[in-house]
Amino acid sequence: MSQLAPVVIDNGTGYTKMGFAGNTDPQYTIPTVIGLPNKSAKLTSRYGIASKRGIDDLDFYIGDEAIANNKMYSLSYPIRHGQIDNWDHMERFWEQSIFKYLRCEPEDHYFLLTEPPLNAPENREQMAEIFFETFNIPGMYIAVQAVLALAASWTAKKANQTLTGTVIDSGDGVTHIVPVAEGYVLGSSIKNIPIAGKDVTAFVQQLQREHFETSIPPQDSYEIARRVKESYSYTCQDMLSEFSKYDADPSSNIINHTAVDSLTQNTYNIDVGYERFLAPEVFFNPELVSSDFLVPLPHMVDSAIQSSPIDTRRGLYTNIVLSGGSTMFKDFGKRLQRDIKRLVDGRIANNESLNNGAMKAKPIDVNVISHKKQRHAVWFGG
Amino acid sequence: MIILEPNNLALQTCLENCFSSVKKEVVDITLVDFDNVLYHVSTPILTEKNLIWVSIKVPCFKELERYKVQEIIQKEYGQYLHPELKVEDDYSVTFQLDLDALPENSDELAKHFSLLKRNIFLAPFVQAFNYFDTKPEQPGEVMNLSYRDGEYLYIQAMEDRITVIFSTRFKDEMDRVFGKVFLQEFVDARRQSLVSNAPQVLYSTKEPPLEIRNFPEQNHGQDFSHITFILFPRHFKDEETKYKTVSQIQLFRNYLHYHIKCSKAYIHSRLRNRVVEFIKVLNRAKPDTSSQAEKKLASGRFFRQQRSSLS
Repeated sequence: MSQLAPVVIDNGTGYTKMGFAGNTDPQYTIPTVIGLPNKSAKLTSRYGIASKRGIDDLDFYIGDEAIANNKMYSLSYPIRHGQIDNWDHMERFWEQSIFKYLRCEPEDHYFLLTEPPLNAPENREQMAEIFFETFNIPGMYIAVQAVLALAASWTAKKANQTLTGTVIDSGDGVTHIVPVAEGYVLGSSIKNIPIAGKDVTAFVQQLQREHFETSIPPQDSYEIARRVKESYSYTCQDMLSEFSKYDADPSSNIINHTAVDSLTQNTYNIDVGYERFLAPEVFFNPELVSSDFLVPLPHMVDSAIQSSPIDTRRGLYTNIVLSGGSTMFKDFGKRLQRDIKRLVDGRIANNESLNNGAMKAKPIDVNVISHKKQRHAVWFGG
Repeated sequence: MIILEPNNLALQTCLENCFSSVKKEVVDITLVDFDNVLYHVSTPILTEKNLIWVSIKVPCFKELERYKVQEIIQKEYGQYLHPELKVEDDYSVTFQLDLDALPENSDELAKHFSLLKRNIFLAPFVQAFNYFDTKPEQPGEVMNLSYRDGEYLYIQAMEDRITVIFSTRFKDEMDRVFGKVFLQEFVDARRQSLVSNAPQVLYSTKEPPLEIRNFPEQNHGQDFSHITFILFPRHFKDEETKYKTVSQIQLFRNYLHYHIKCSKAYIHSRLRNRVVEFIKVLNRAKPDTSSQAEKKLASGRFFRQQRSSLS
């Protein structure tokens, strides 16, 4: 049936976004996690997979339900760093997401799936194989996440409808800088940053531990850190002045966050202070969290664009698109734009002074586009 | 998840979001359900954001109307029907909800609406139940419903039982084999004492059952599979069991397809597992090159293996 809406599924490391084409939001955004019964996990390790008889292989939960049942089921994340890691689990994850959550018959719908940039062709083949053989779908398209994110940016006001641009896709598990020219991904210029949402959350968690928020129960601390990150963080323009602003007037800047203990149901308060602006700072000063990766995001973007073909560079600078949950921080785009601009202008000035003003370069305008569909940008583009 | 839920989770969450959102936003969401059913939740008038329309499109609605589906809609959702009985283009029924005048338990309402498809397909079953309640002397007429393209459902109320027949067709050769094995299992499973109370299930691939042999669509095309469920009075003795039975039967086809897919996934995982095992065996079979290296004595001298000079 061609009249039925195609299904768009975007499997990310942290969350899976799925829904029907034509809607403005994905119907479901659920954690990409599958919960398998504890006992069978033990059994299979002892007797091999053949020990699973009967309906054991149907006894599993995905997404939020898996997390809710994590006392009885062991959780497994089938996607790591954007790549599908465990095909068995992924196949069952899709099975349940199609039949239980989307309630559609795969025979009747076309599917649009997404893949990370630089995905191995074997992975793509495997994905298509599962969908055609297991689910008998009539047709599918596997799109690169970055291109979809570019398409999604067309909704932003100042964006022009081109398929050329630089996509900064920062999800939960991995951050990519992907230059796209006329819809084609410039494979050789893709830059990969090992800092993403998970690391930011871990950093917030560490900060909270450092200023003795002892009221946080240990089992919730990661969850609390995530919530604090998502609701209070913003990007500052200058770290030093922000610190002094906080010190001068702590009461108006430090937010009191009230949370409920998941076990005892008691409420408790925590203070949210410096981590509000320090969390996004991780991208600009990676030395905060990592000792081996030290290049800030703007420099990475700049070098990615510099390494791409010379005739596309101007287009890439003018259209830098943010996508993914970890770029949702307030003013993230503004800060990024300023830093990249500074780099580019510096280079031009340097160049001019070298040839003594004999040649004037046309100033390059740098535009960072952020829009409200950013979180589900990939899905929306699909 | 072994049994599929009768309600549509996507519609339920979508309505719950609409009901609970403080800032009323314009919605325009299309959802689907099994058997080519389409839902559309929308704000019809941009200035009146408190009104939302919920429309459903059922491909076989014309046939359902023959079985008085309107009565059921009136009974279940009467107060939410569109006041002028207007129906959105391309859809079968339209309901209008006023977000400002919701009942206390709006989640219940969302749940109730998510059962919309189940309730609409209830119509022929209700007819059969009603006919049965009149304690008839002879079998009632056979009600047919082409619930999907080229797939049919027949319901007939008899003197002492109700027969439900599915005529289903598999597009894929492999699915047909899976389906056959699976359905055979149904017949065999009844021998176990645990499920002896379950309805009797008959299964045939060649000849259509006697009851439906005179329907035109049965006379051509050999590739139908017929599954007959026989419901005895104990399966619809009170309202609750009735609903439960009907929900299960309606989802039978989807259940079948879901499980065929699950079986495939299971087989795939076995295949992958086996491949990993085989690769291990292959790796073990590789000649070990490192053992060819010279072996040293403690004193530092070493042997060199003598190659056979015969070859």
